Amino acid sequence: MRPETVTIKPMPSRFRHMLPKYKVIRSDACISCGTCARLCPYGVHDRPDGYNKTKPPVSYKCIGFECEKNDFFCINKCPVKALELIPNPMYEALGDHRWTSDMITATWIMAETGAVPDRTDLEYHIGNSDGGFDKLRFKFPENPPLVNPEEISTAIKLNRRNDGRADVEISLPVYCGGMSFGSCSLTTLVSRARNAQAWNTFTCTGEGGYPEALQPYDNHVITQVATGLFGVREETIKRVRMVEFKYAQGAKPGLGGHLLGEKHTEAISKMREAVKGTSLFSPFPFHSVYSIEDHKKHVDWIKEMNPTALVSVKVSTPNDVDMVAVGSYYANAHVVHIDGGYGGTGAAPDIAKKNIAMPIEYAIPKVHNFLKEEGARDAVTLIASGGIRNAHDVAKAICLGADGVVIATAELVALECVRCGNCESGRGCARGIASTDPELAVLYDEEYATQRLTNLFNAWHDELVSILQKFGMKSITELVGRTDLLYHIDYNK
Amino acid sequence: MPKKYHIHVKPTSLELDLISKFRLERGDECINCGRCIKVCVYEAHKRREDDPRKMADPISALCKNCFRCIQECPRGAMTKSIMPAFKTLGDEYWTSEMILSIWKQAEVGKVPVSGAGYRGKFTGPGFDSMWTDMSEIVRPTRDGIHGREYISTHVDLGRKLDRLIFSEDGELLSEIPDTVDLPIPMIFDAYEYKVADIVKIAMAGAAEAIDTLAVFPASEITAEIEKYVKHFIPLLSYNEIEKHADLLDKVKVLELYYTGELLADFETIRKNIKQITNALVAVRIPASAGVENTVLALTQKGAEIVHIITDHHGNEQGEQARFVKEVLEDVHATLIKEAVRDALTIIASGGIAMAEHVPKSIISGADVVSLDIPLILALGYELHGVKEELLIPPDEIDRIPQEKGIQRIVNLLGAWHSQMLEVMGAMGIREVRRLRGETGRAIYFETLEKETFATLFGNNT
Repeated sequence: MRPETVTIKPMPSRFRHMLPKYKVIRSDACISCGTCARLCPYGVHDRPDGYNKTKPPVSYKCIGFECEKNDFFCINKCPVKALELIPNPMYEALGDHRWTSDMITATWIMAETGAVPDRTDLEYHIGNSDGGFDKLRFKFPENPPLVNPEEISTAIKLNRRNDGRADVEISLPVYCGGMSFGSCSLTTLVSRARNAQAWNTFTCTGEGGYPEALQPYDNHVITQVATGLFGVREETIKRVRMVEFKYAQGAKPGLGGHLLGEKHTEAISKMREAVKGTSLFSPFPFHSVYSIEDHKKHVDWIKEMNPTALVSVKVSTPNDVDMVAVGSYYANAHVVHIDGGYGGTGAAPDIAKKNIAMPIEYAIPKVHNFLKEEGARDAVTLIASGGIRNAHDVAKAICLGADGVVIATAELVALECVRCGNCESGRGCARGIASTDPELAVLYDEEYATQRLTNLFNAWHDELVSILQKFGMKSITELVGRTDLLYHIDYNK
Repeated sequence: MPKKYHIHVKPTSLELDLISKFRLERGDECINCGRCIKVCVYEAHKRREDDPRKMADPISALCKNCFRCIQECPRGAMTKSIMPAFKTLGDEYWTSEMILSIWKQAEVGKVPVSGAGYRGKFTGPGFDSMWTDMSEIVRPTRDGIHGREYISTHVDLGRKLDRLIFSEDGELLSEIPDTVDLPIPMIFDAYEYKVADIVKIAMAGAAEAIDTLAVFPASEITAEIEKYVKHFIPLLSYNEIEKHADLLDKVKVLELYYTGELLADFETIRKNIKQITNALVAVRIPASAGVENTVLALTQKGAEIVHIITDHHGNEQGEQARFVKEVLEDVHATLIKEAVRDALTIIASGGIAMAEHVPKSIISGADVVSLDIPLILALGYELHGVKEELLIPPDEIDRIPQEKGIQRIVNLLGAWHSQMLEVMGAMGIREVRRLRGETGRAIYFETLEKETFATLFGNNT
């Protein structure tokens, strides 16, 4: 159910030119008759009244070669054959195996419009990593029970312990992962919090302190306590409804956080109480935790300090992640958050991103089943992250056994990240998303960013509702652990 | 605590036009407004020095793919593509991304760090079918950055005793075999490839600088290389021992080509060598089906080191060739079964292309790995997937100064050493000796797939 606080309105790109899949080229042969502008329903062509020339084509609105079958296909209808349609040669420089150019494009469309792209030429539900989510498909029944989409709920509860602490429900099975002040600009952080408030979910501070600008959104912010304890204060723990212990991060399991010196500005050093310009490496692990008993002391410490807060434990995915999860259950954590090896980061050694710990797709069923065998599954909320790129990944993760997911990269892509991977170096993100550089961090404002995020979440919400409708389900909670609703293309040829 | 092992890296550019990934082009629509100069944080756009009214050609090598110049040019004059030379660089094993990363590491000597998550395939053949594990909460771990000085990468070449024997009055009776201590589990060996002299000198010099060893054929050892006599391993045939007696007396380790006769007479040959030199003897043996039995036979006859060779893709010879990882697993398991594993040091060659392949080889059963192509690439070579001309030197190869060549290899090893520490720290392994054959610290695709997806979806149609 969409919260009433959500408002959807178009929020176009902040750039003059997009990076479209196709290129529509108008040659000098054009006689500016305006036929194309009259025909194209997508707005590629425009010949404003009073002008004697047709404007240059807006290629990114073009749906591509599938338009051929339409009787308004401009290329065929141009009386002087002045138009040409080609694949954009620049498109190959965008995207990678996990986040393909189509997936990035579709995310941009969702962030702009708030709707699921009405295009069949964009393969955005799967990437081409040849494994994991990219090989899983849904098995929709032929005649599902009829369900009114208005009645479908995507909400999940985060406290399943009945321990008298806050009864927190979020409207989407998605909340937003830790990104620190330092790794990202303040505008990015505040916009994420505003969106989390609008969608009644959470965002997380990451390990970089709790900027004052986030205080109006306290009810939708998670304070992260990580190994370096940067910016962690008693008051920031008391202020929130949920506190997250970050034991490890999927992109760099077994390694502490990295903030390279060049991104460590004055404001960051104040917040983190460190010396400006030095590289900050959080230690690994928590040197106060070498057993589940120590771990429990940690959780108790937070619970003591904030008597209503929920506690989440974020761990990465080693071979014994199932044991770690059960340990967290016995330590009385409310949320067990497992972060898979292919997750995002603002800076991590390449060797760690690729090689350490297992992908989330394997970890979810492992943990889900182990918690079930231990009789603990119903008392914890299992959250998965590390490579959740779109609404289909969300639903697949839930089918594999998670209650919900955490995302972060998808949010950045909504803010027009191109995943160039240079967040860590020099002044940080050249596109101003993951940078605290005084010039770069002001490339966009909160209105733009909040709306883009809200729009993206709306499209995901609609997709989740549509998936549930195809299964004839009324609540996302019915999907948990339903691996029988998935098939794997390697086993079903 | 023993002196800390440290590799001294220093930024060293070859000042060559190495291939880069992206190509920026400025079209005729450009109105020289300079917007691109303002938006590019990498300084890929500049005005012409001779005529500042005009824009210079963009410097593609500086492009980091942020797309800002493309998206913000008021005239849409900028275009970008993948460099054609980048697309043809490398082959299916040695990808263009790997080669660029090796060049960069040889230049800066640092661990490659980047933002955004992993971008590659879910899993793959060879080394890509395994992940290294990490320790969390309940196992003692070591911090790869703050605790790196406590992680040891030392290994010993040579035979180790499985037990010590004492007399009744406590006197040690066991004869302790000689070993050679290496501070990192990596040696150099480019014997299988044709390379310029500067590469050989750089290898020998770098071997000295980081205190490891480089293999060279005994017949090709020039005066230039002989300066590094404590840091190379002469490679020769067992019947050339007399001929090179003087040289062999000075080295720490020598290596013999494997032949059937060598195996048959190994005990006698080993004794004869002992008359000439105290150097340890390694046997170089190309991997093919059944190599594990040959290695076992050699070990039982007293061999102390074998150097197992696979090709540049890490494959053994013959039909249905195993990958170096599987070869090592089989050799390791065979020796364990016969309870002689510690009698032998295994050096693995072939297919070692990235820092992660070192710990993965060691987990698979090697004690030491031998590096080849990465060292050659460090000097600016290109690799193309053509067998006859696999490695192409830069035109300026003979003009690279020795110190630069040496420093480039030192830098690469510095970066790889740091990456080993990161991975070992994550695994909670404090000594690389303990990593050998430690498959419990790895996660295998086949196992995970069988346990999870095959179980969940195997019979699910």
